[in-house]
Amino acid sequence: MLRATDITVRFGGVRAIENVSMALQRTEILGLIGPNGAGKTTMVNVLSGFQQPHQGSVTLAGEKTGPLRADRLARSGVVRTFQAVRLFPGLTVSENLEVGLGSRGLGRAAARRRAAELLDYMGLAARAHMPGNALSYGEERRVGIARALALQPNFLLLDEPAAGLNIGEAEALGDLIRRIRADFGCGVLVIEHNMKLVMGLCERLHVLASGRTIAEGSPADVFRDTAFRSAYLGAEPA
Amino acid sequence: MAASISDRIGWRPAARDGLRRLVPLAALVGIVLTIVLLAGMGDIVLQRRVIFCLIHVVAVVGLYIFMGNSGVMNFSSAGFMAVGAYTSALLTMAPGMKSTFLPDLPAWLAAAHLSPLWGALAGGVMAGLMALVIGIPIMRLSGIGAAIATLSLMFICYIVLGNWTALTGGQQSLMGLPSYVGLWTAGLTAMVAIAVAFVYQETRGALALRGSREDEVAARGSGVRIVRERLAAFVVSGFVTGIAGVLYGHFLGTLRVESFYLDLTFLLVTMLVVGGMRSLAGAVIGAIGISILTELLRLVEVGFVLPGTSWSIATPPGLGDVALAAAMLLIILFRPQGLTGGHEIELPRSKTSTSGLATTSGNTGTANV
Ligand SMILES: Nc1ncnc2c1ncn2[C@@H]1O[C@H](COP(=O)(O)OP(=O)(O)OP(=O)(O)O)[C@@H](O)[C@H]1O
Ligand SMILES: [Mg+2]
Repeated sequence: MLRATDITVRFGGVRAIENVSMALQRTEILGLIGPNGAGKTTMVNVLSGFQQPHQGSVTLAGEKTGPLRADRLARSGVVRTFQAVRLFPGLTVSENLEVGLGSRGLGRAAARRRAAELLDYMGLAARAHMPGNALSYGEERRVGIARALALQPNFLLLDEPAAGLNIGEAEALGDLIRRIRADFGCGVLVIEHNMKLVMGLCERLHVLASGRTIAEGSPADVFRDTAFRSAYLGAEPA
Repeated sequence: MAASISDRIGWRPAARDGLRRLVPLAALVGIVLTIVLLAGMGDIVLQRRVIFCLIHVVAVVGLYIFMGNSGVMNFSSAGFMAVGAYTSALLTMAPGMKSTFLPDLPAWLAAAHLSPLWGALAGGVMAGLMALVIGIPIMRLSGIGAAIATLSLMFICYIVLGNWTALTGGQQSLMGLPSYVGLWTAGLTAMVAIAVAFVYQETRGALALRGSREDEVAARGSGVRIVRERLAAFVVSGFVTGIAGVLYGHFLGTLRVESFYLDLTFLLVTMLVVGGMRSLAGAVIGAIGISILTELLRLVEVGFVLPGTSWSIATPPGLGDVALAAAMLLIILFRPQGLTGGHEIELPRSKTSTSGLATTSGNTGTANV
């Protein structure tokens, strides 16, 4: 289990996260939702070791994760994608994956084979030798997920994987995430604004607003919650 | 359908792929070999020029190993060359020579008399050790911080060597190095340096480093230990650059600390940037290209008589340096990825056309060489 307890993060005077606790089980799909600036990405940064919390702690399988060791956490299976995707533009799509496979201990030849398998799995086989900056937006996002899968995640943290996708693509993404959970046996945390996708995909939701937890539970419970309705749907009628 | 047949015979595509991956190495070794063979037919003056060029190839390849793969600026090449050159000089000079030029050497060093090969290796190892020791604190720097730190390292080498009179003769020239470096020594060393750089860049550590070059944050997200990978590259780079210094000393037979200063640093960085710092081909082609350019300019600067006329053409002194800076500026402005655009020399990837050499878009997808 990946668990964050009583996390507080400040940027100067701004409290981006205040006293938030959350846990991600292996094999569950957890939705992390909230309006813009709620602190969702900051929370993922904390969980993945990119952001040192000012208070609180993160534990992986009961053990505290050290400060600012994002690379080590990634190698132990806590892997995240980026809201801005951040592919390696000058490397080929295959090499984008091979970097992570190398971190997981595979030699170059084995990494090449495994990258081909993963790209095939993601329906990106034809793109393997293209440079990372020559893809369509949807493809780019999928390569970002494939690159995370290269690290054999136990916990996969997806920061707005459906941003910029059309309705059809977003639905396909939902299916893909379920398939990944089944095939990789990993817990998935998804940050997502599209409520339809969230409702269909997530077994549990955690709602942030202005850095605080305002609701958590099953999607049905959360949507009935008055705090959620006023803070979230009120702020963002959609 | 040709593809499906070769797919069924499992080993064939793999073997062909393995060979294909060696093409960038073979092409560059071939270029160096051709240069050596052609120069062998020329006169002694030409050969000396070519040897200089080959030594620069070694130095720029050394620089590339770190700077090209990591994307981190490095202005310390001249310092590593100096350390390699003086180490090898002190270990290989005849004791009689040393007692003349360096009377204050410690006794064990005054007596040391290694063979050229061991001296050269010691020079490379010394430079590699310096990279290891200095690299541990500075490898977390990138951008302007790394530029300043490596430039400072170069200044420190210059000042220490220039004032450590007992060891280097200080501001005076150190003479009497065995000058064993000829065309083939320089050529073979260049080929070995290219092979070392190639083998290194095929490791997973080097790929991880290139990932960090493209995006440090994403590389950490992919589990890359950035500082460690940079340090490994810096040490290999230091070794190869040190060897370039060894060649330099044992080619000229004399050493001056002044030779390892800003001019050389700027020359090496220019060679790499003009060639294209993101590929080994860029390092080699940049070193050769700038060498040819400076030779041509030297001819013009000295002045020559236009054939068939009595007009002599001579340009103002300093033109060479200006042209070097101009070449750098033009490349940075109009072709920031360098002449090679960051590509290696490869066979075209498509299955139908298998003849001829071309550069494929391995990197930025822009135009070819
Ligand atoms: N590095 C930083 N420095 C200063 N402030 C920051 C930094 N990162 C985030 N913040 C602030 O912290 C708050 C939370 O930001 P965060 O990116 O976590 O929100 P988010 O929920 O991911 O929003 P979005 O839906 O727009 O992605 C915002 O007010 C943001 O401006
Ligand atoms: Mg965000």
